[in-house]
Amino acid sequence: MNARPSPYRPPGHLEIASALAPYRGPWNERLAAHLLRRAAFGGSPQQIARVAAASMDATVDSLVNFPNSDMLAAPPEGYDMDLRFNRGMSIEQRKAMRKRAHQTLLGMQMWWLGRMLASPAPLQEKMTLFWHGNFCAAALQKNIGPRDAYNQNAMFRRYALGNVRALTQAVSKDPAELKYLDNVSSVQAHPNENYARELMELFTLGIGNYTEQDVRESARAFTGWSVDRRSGEFFFNQRAHDYGPKTFLGQSGNLDGSDIVNIIFAQPAAARLFAKKLLSYFVYSDPEPELVDALAGVVKKNDFNMKPVLSMLLRSNVLYSDRAYRALVKSPVEFVVGTFKTFGLNSFVPNPNEAPLSMAQAGGKPPGIAAAQGILGALARMGQILFYPPNVKGWDGGSAWLNSSTVLTRENFASAIMNSQTMMQSSWISDVPMGAKDATQRLVDGILQGDASAAAQQHIQAYLSGSDVSALGMLSGENYQERIRGAAYLTMATPAYQLN
Amino acid sequence: MKRNRFLLGAVSGLSVVATADNLFAQALAQTTLPGLPGTSDRVFVVINLQGGNDGLNTVVPHGMQQYYRFRPTLGIGQNDVLRINDQIGLNPALRSLKTMYDNGQVAIVQGAGYPQPNHSHFRSTEIWQTAKPDAYVRTGWLGRFLDDASLPRENLFNALAVAPVLPECLIANNCDVPAIGDVRAYRLASDRAGAGAVMAFRSVVNDKAQPFTSPYLATVAEIEDHAQRGSAELPKLIAGYRSDASYPATPLGRSLALAAQIVGSRLGTRVLYVQHGSFDTHANQKGVQDRLLAELSNGLAAFYSDLAAHGNDKRVLTMTFSEFGRRAQENASRGTDHGEASPMFVIGGGIKGGVYGAHPSLDVLDKGDITFTTDFRRVYATVIERWMGRPSAGVLEGSFPVLPLLA
Repeated sequence: MNARPSPYRPPGHLEIASALAPYRGPWNERLAAHLLRRAAFGGSPQQIARVAAASMDATVDSLVNFPNSDMLAAPPEGYDMDLRFNRGMSIEQRKAMRKRAHQTLLGMQMWWLGRMLASPAPLQEKMTLFWHGNFCAAALQKNIGPRDAYNQNAMFRRYALGNVRALTQAVSKDPAELKYLDNVSSVQAHPNENYARELMELFTLGIGNYTEQDVRESARAFTGWSVDRRSGEFFFNQRAHDYGPKTFLGQSGNLDGSDIVNIIFAQPAAARLFAKKLLSYFVYSDPEPELVDALAGVVKKNDFNMKPVLSMLLRSNVLYSDRAYRALVKSPVEFVVGTFKTFGLNSFVPNPNEAPLSMAQAGGKPPGIAAAQGILGALARMGQILFYPPNVKGWDGGSAWLNSSTVLTRENFASAIMNSQTMMQSSWISDVPMGAKDATQRLVDGILQGDASAAAQQHIQAYLSGSDVSALGMLSGENYQERIRGAAYLTMATPAYQLN
Repeated sequence: MKRNRFLLGAVSGLSVVATADNLFAQALAQTTLPGLPGTSDRVFVVINLQGGNDGLNTVVPHGMQQYYRFRPTLGIGQNDVLRINDQIGLNPALRSLKTMYDNGQVAIVQGAGYPQPNHSHFRSTEIWQTAKPDAYVRTGWLGRFLDDASLPRENLFNALAVAPVLPECLIANNCDVPAIGDVRAYRLASDRAGAGAVMAFRSVVNDKAQPFTSPYLATVAEIEDHAQRGSAELPKLIAGYRSDASYPATPLGRSLALAAQIVGSRLGTRVLYVQHGSFDTHANQKGVQDRLLAELSNGLAAFYSDLAAHGNDKRVLTMTFSEFGRRAQENASRGTDHGEASPMFVIGGGIKGGVYGAHPSLDVLDKGDITFTTDFRRVYATVIERWMGRPSAGVLEGSFPVLPLLA
């Protein structure tokens, strides 16, 4: 437990006594934007101003008590499709089915991104993404079809701010998860340990909090927890279940999978694991053990109900401390959705600069990104494909998002957005004041909440006034809008824009 | 300041004189690289045969009768095999590679694999790329090599993936590796409001005087700088290279041509990654695999002739791998399903040509799969120790005996 902190834990002192107490300091646009980035994928200057004019408490209240989001677009046609191969199917038929599933999943990625962008319940989507990264299953592997992926996503959304124990019970009966971790073939004679092991190692407890014997015993408890071939739904195969006595984490009895989950959630390590993951997702990387313990206490006190935990975390001193400010790297999804939110766009414009990636080009990554156009191609190059986490561990996040290729893709994405038809007609751009100094101010405030160095601001101003030696120096007055968009792109090329 | 102006000239369409960046290249060449004497100039090229290449029809066990029983339609006849010895020979599509083998430039490692093999493309690829069959780790084996070798941080091209997405094998903790599918695509978008402005903006990206602090700030600034500078400089750094080699007009051919160009431009690059495929031949295997193997064979021949023409052939060791071989018994669709062990080729450099390791038994199978005879990490250890001149135990997090395939 006393491992050396990573270089990405913020420096400075943690005030542990007051860390989780409600923040009562000044409330302004900078902190309002910070809260929106962390809990709502960002916001436009108007939204930020609205949140700043309201109070922090009122904003958090509306984030956690979110409205019904049923009015949002339905998932694309084919989302209920199974990937089921019959013996009689020809190779061509199998190929065609896979291809149709790939295409459907591309549509589902856009559909989910659209929800993140437009939902009146953005925290629900943010937590859906959180669970997607915790309880991983990758589409199109092991016959996980669009329906399985959709149902899992819907489950994560249903439990977004719900009870983690109940969610874990549901995950243990979720066809996508049972297929992904081979539990569908786990029978008394040959228990498959994959699900039981990852359930503890990655999903709930973390390594070191159970023994190999516990893995074997819990695998026995999950035997027969399978998927019905015909209906595609969870199926308890009594004939394959091991009804013998088992001993798991010190408890003995004729335990089944449900008992295993309950015993897991009685371990102190479970509350700590979720506390640490929540802090790393919402506050900063590599949180101090004492902070993890403090939040774990809150998780436990609330019996693993996420709503009161998030309600407290999103109001906490530690979230609004300088140490947490810009202390996370935007994930590709946060970067892309956040960009559209910043410019007040409710739908995605095409991003013509990103050609599709074939499966071979993608380095053997899941084929779902084949033919991914525009935004999906950009996201793939940035390293995040929704419904296709890289492995059961999920996305590593943090500095793992950053290398020269992914960052180049981010900058080219920003450029493509700024050169899109949509931005050419955007009032966000046409409302930017004329003078170079005022325009710079507007851009740096609207895009970065002022988080640009003085030198960067001078540079943007010089670029806008045409005194810069850059290629745009030739622009005359009527091309000023183009220069504004160029300056907005420059603003997005500063380090702060990569940080959440 | 001078370079800044030079770069601005480039984007505003002025004619470019390459001298400014030749200075950069010379500075790199003069940097003393750590490592054993003689190894700092060596390059390692890894080729990923994606999708699971059928090893039994690559290095063909024509001397084993069982092979023909498993492969009633796909079996390669004894008269067609490019014979290596009484037991094995190469697929006839590998004619150019066989010539290289006959010249002593190729080592064949038989039956490469790992314990408890995984049959998923994704997981098994990850295992070969991270060299960790029993754990999920972020860094790749070559990434850990780069970290361990502490190569000069200022060099943007210590390693390079000729691929649009960075492969896991090159993920390092302290070394930023560019992934470049196509040099023309590896650039900042160059419309009027794009690349030029950002390049000119570069000096302020690294500005430490930000109105906020962040533990990630230094990393972000460094990598933004790499992305902007690297994408602008690479095309110019390699522009002077000329080649007469005739590569196959395929993605692999273009990738290998770029790899030779990078080696020949002497950017201090130690590791290059190239990918080829897909070899996932569940149906009608023969046409697909023969075409891909011929491309590989002709591509490698062109690559080494290109390297030799520039005096670089002795500097470059190339290794192929695939996430798994395929099932011994062919299926009803004249294809093969996911299997386990398969051979690796190690080519060029100081190779001692020949066959290493035993061919897996075709009589004793593991649920229909041939069992590995050589742990692939032994090949990795050999490359790290005998070619790159670094200890391998730390990088591989375990001790794997080296194979005697390098002089």
